[in-house]
Amino acid sequence: MIRLYLRMALKSLGQNPGLTAIMVATVALGIAACVTVITMFHAMSADPIWWKSDRLYAVTLDSWDVNEPPDAARPHLPPPRLTYRDAMHLLESNIPERKTVMYVARTSILSNADRPPIAAEARFTRGDFFPMFDVPFQYGGSWSVADDTNAAPVIVLSKEVNETLFGGDNSVGRIVRWNDREFRIVGVLDTWEPQPKFYDLNRGHFEMPEGAYIPFRWGPQNKVTSASGRCWKPEPLDSYEDILGSECTWQQMWVELPDAATRERMQDLLDTYTTEQRKSGRFQRPQNNRLTNVPQWLIDQGVVQNDNRVLVGLAFAFLAVCLLNVVGLLLAKFLNAAKTIGIRRALGARKGQIFAQYFVEAAVVSTLGAALGLALGALSLKGLSIMYTVDEATRGGYRELLHFDVSSVVVAIALAAVATVVGGFYPAWRAARLPPAVYLKSQ
Amino acid sequence: MIEMRNINKVYRSELVETRALRELSQQVGAGEFVAITGPSGSGKTTLLNIVGLLETFDSGSLHFDGEDVSRLSDDARSRLRNEKIGFIFQSFNLIPDLSIYDNVDVPLCYRGMKAGERHRRITSALELVGLGSRMRHLPSQLSGGQQQRAAIARAIAGDPKLLLADEPTGNLDSVMAGQVLDLLQQINQSGTAIVMVTHDPHLAARAQRSVHVVDGQIAPEESGTLRAPAALAMPEARARETR
Amino acid sequence: MSGNIRQVVSALRHNRIGALLVAMQIAITLAVLVNAVFIVKQRMERTSRPTGFDVENVIAIASAGFAQDFDYVTTLREDLAYLRSLPGVIAATASNSVPLGGGVGVMASLAARPNAEVHSLPGGYFEVDEQGIDALGVRLVAGRGFEQSEVEPPADSITARMPKQIIITQAFADELFPNENALGKTVYDSVDTPVTVIGIIEHMQAASADVAYVDRVSLVPRQPSSVPKNFYLVRTEPQQRDVVMRMVEGRMSTSNPDRMISWVRSLEEVRRRAYLADRNMGIFLVTITALLLTLTALSLFGLATFNVNARTKQIGTRRALGARRGDIVRYFLLENWLISTIGVVLGCVLTLAASYWLTRKYGLPRLDLIYLAGGVVGLWVLGQIAAWQPARAAAQVPPAVATRRIA
Ligand SMILES: Nc1ncnc2c1ncn2[C@@H]1O[C@H](COP(=O)(O)OP(=O)(O)OP(=O)(O)O)[C@@H](O)[C@H]1O
Ligand SMILES: [Mg+2]
Repeated sequence: MIRLYLRMALKSLGQNPGLTAIMVATVALGIAACVTVITMFHAMSADPIWWKSDRLYAVTLDSWDVNEPPDAARPHLPPPRLTYRDAMHLLESNIPERKTVMYVARTSILSNADRPPIAAEARFTRGDFFPMFDVPFQYGGSWSVADDTNAAPVIVLSKEVNETLFGGDNSVGRIVRWNDREFRIVGVLDTWEPQPKFYDLNRGHFEMPEGAYIPFRWGPQNKVTSASGRCWKPEPLDSYEDILGSECTWQQMWVELPDAATRERMQDLLDTYTTEQRKSGRFQRPQNNRLTNVPQWLIDQGVVQNDNRVLVGLAFAFLAVCLLNVVGLLLAKFLNAAKTIGIRRALGARKGQIFAQYFVEAAVVSTLGAALGLALGALSLKGLSIMYTVDEATRGGYRELLHFDVSSVVVAIALAAVATVVGGFYPAWRAARLPPAVYLKSQ
Repeated sequence: MIEMRNINKVYRSELVETRALRELSQQVGAGEFVAITGPSGSGKTTLLNIVGLLETFDSGSLHFDGEDVSRLSDDARSRLRNEKIGFIFQSFNLIPDLSIYDNVDVPLCYRGMKAGERHRRITSALELVGLGSRMRHLPSQLSGGQQQRAAIARAIAGDPKLLLADEPTGNLDSVMAGQVLDLLQQINQSGTAIVMVTHDPHLAARAQRSVHVVDGQIAPEESGTLRAPAALAMPEARARETR
Repeated sequence: MSGNIRQVVSALRHNRIGALLVAMQIAITLAVLVNAVFIVKQRMERTSRPTGFDVENVIAIASAGFAQDFDYVTTLREDLAYLRSLPGVIAATASNSVPLGGGVGVMASLAARPNAEVHSLPGGYFEVDEQGIDALGVRLVAGRGFEQSEVEPPADSITARMPKQIIITQAFADELFPNENALGKTVYDSVDTPVTVIGIIEHMQAASADVAYVDRVSLVPRQPSSVPKNFYLVRTEPQQRDVVMRMVEGRMSTSNPDRMISWVRSLEEVRRRAYLADRNMGIFLVTITALLLTLTALSLFGLATFNVNARTKQIGTRRALGARRGDIVRYFLLENWLISTIGVVLGCVLTLAASYWLTRKYGLPRLDLIYLAGGVVGLWVLGQIAAWQPARAAAQVPPAVATRRIA
């Protein structure tokens, strides 16, 4: 039966090639636009470490100026980073299963005697960083707790840095110079590109991870300043010690809390600490200490841009127009066949059969449109990644995001299915409902 | 009123040339009621179309009220159709989306008549055909006979001098057909000339005059009405096609 | 004509859903069109704001020293001497930031009175030397530039006190001292250091295009800090920029093994990068809107064509009843215009709703109603254009169809 309907549908579509082309192109455009924008949106708001989302928390305390919030646009949020002394205090706690405080060095040049120096960012962090964020290693591994405590001059390199400086060899145990100081390599990462870069959203949401990782304590001990930070209090900051003791926020803190109980204990710890500090004149704003999981963190930190939200709205408006268009054309077409339908009905076709026949025709249009739409979508993503490319050389940014992934294909197929049902159902239903007699009688 | 002289009409399609009318001459006087009969494919509709200015012809001349219409522009022909000619079709040709009232309004609209005047004419035309109570119905809500009467109302609402009817009763039963013909006779009596194509010799007999067309030519008159039933039995056969 | 409208309306009423679908399509198209054009217009205004500096002829160079024994002061001296010696170079300065291109410590707050009394105003902060004004190509409208003797050595911490002299933009001056001449006045930095305004420049944009204080900029006489990197701004004679850029790239990247040249860019390129998101949003909106318009036009065209085909017999009948060709064309254009009008009316509501949402949620300015009016007229015209060809085709239907065609 379905074969017969299919044949009838193709014949009917072939009789009106112009109209068919318009309908297929319409569905294709609508689906292409939606798939493109949804891929973008999806990539930008996706949780890159969803399997640990209920365990990882960013720690923030509101230590800001009593008179104004750190971010006027989001006054309910504490600053995204901690002061050095608060971070050091919280690091003492053994409530979290894993924990780290960290910052990125202001200057960072890596060199190896036999190659030209390269600029690659360096992160000062604790050894917990790697297991906490499930960072994969190609060679070696994280440094030891002793290295953390002793501020040992050891380093973990990214795969790319290792490729540039050591030609991709197993460089574990060898020496690399960071800002002209010697470090022993203990590990080389495998490919690791969490998008967005959830653990550090302070300087670009879609940057690549850093090229080098060094035990946290080494940084302050050697007066390494941070690439980013914010201060609010007018206070002298003339020496490195001033900065360490200041109200400037520049430490990112993450903890891994295995269950709700530890989470509560951690929250208590934060609240007790700030209540204590309040007595000495700090933390004058309303208490606002947060443990934020990754999905919420992405929203709080504005990873999904307003521009992108507007575009998603736009894409759906576009798809709506496309569907309206197709429904309108199909409806006109089917109702115009009223006389034929009347004759068929007179010859004994049941309502369901008429419906099926026209629904199949609509489905053929949608399927063709979806296939074409996928191709168009792939093309437009290609165009987008060119548009968003700042530099041919640099990686990161939107460029890596905009590839066609499986989920886009699934979305396209889902959209096509919806388009078929929405676009085909009503016209086919109307066609099936036509009273056979009336149209046979007149004219 | 109408004077056709030596009219020839050839239809050309890719393969065949059909001589639908050949050297046909005929006159219709004002207020006359002429029936046209003839076998299928003999050229009756073609003749009517040419008189009604729906189609052009290849050679010969056609005068309407003394005016040579073969030279008129498309718009002038439209105007003439609108003001002087009324049409009744075998398949009624009512516009399905418009009510009976609006259907009758169509030709009046094109004439640019005032709304009040249009309303008066529409109601009186519909009253005349006995559809005064069904003005707001859609064509699909009427019987075939009622539809044809609506079409007649539409044709006469503009007060044409000439009414052209191509098998107006072709889709109706004999009772209905009789009623329609009564109506046409009534209209004719008020001064409108009527040219009606029909296959039914009884109906043709009710006209003042009957013209028999065979092979695109007028056949001798006396035999016209008698031969018609025989002709009906052999449709299409007479249509002569030449290369 | 009134009878004509009645007929069209009546015909539309019998195909209510079809007409409504097209009208809704037009409505959405109008809402998207108007809001998109409005957004694009704003982005374009943003990206074409006057920069105040010489966009075409300035080169920015980013340099990062990394060696343990990196001699920053000597490097600065040698680099500047080299840059200034190049043929075609008008002036060169070292700087902590690049206009529209970011930098290090790009913001500093100033107040007209010591901080305790009055809130300070944040503004862009540029450390330059005596050639700073020439190197940027900004226009001094009052006072003087810096003297060589006033230029301080690099500050040793990120929040050192400001030097004693400062040059500010007119916009900054007007906000610090409304209705007063700021020249010669004292301003205070965040730690209440008194600083004298010795010059006012007409206009200059800060190191970021996205900040509210983009027009408020201060220049101070100081060499930038070396950490993490410092910048050079070099202004060339017209047409010499690219030549100089190539020379600089070739020479500076190898001249000093203790530092690295991160990049050399023209300020044109810097500005392009600063507005990349705006440009992309613009391209996106324009593309989608253009597609949408095409689609709507196609659909109006398709539907009109289809309607004409479906109504051939009706058209023939009308012709037989005396309609002129022009009447037929008018009939279809009128039908299209009515549908467009329903769509446009719906669209006005939708447009205002969308605009309200955008204003509420994303802080976009209120829609200028001129755009709505433009969109309405535009869609009317588009509709008529789309229906024109089918209407003409309808007029070509011969009247004989009335007697010949079966359906
Ligand atoms: N558009 C056309 N193209 C080609 N040939 C045509 C066309 N219209 C009519 N003819 C031919 O012209 C001849 C006369 O046709 P016409 O319609 O006038 O016949 P008729 O007398 O009205 O027949 P009937 O009684 O069956 O209606 C026929 O042979 C027909 O096939
Ligand atoms: Mg005929």
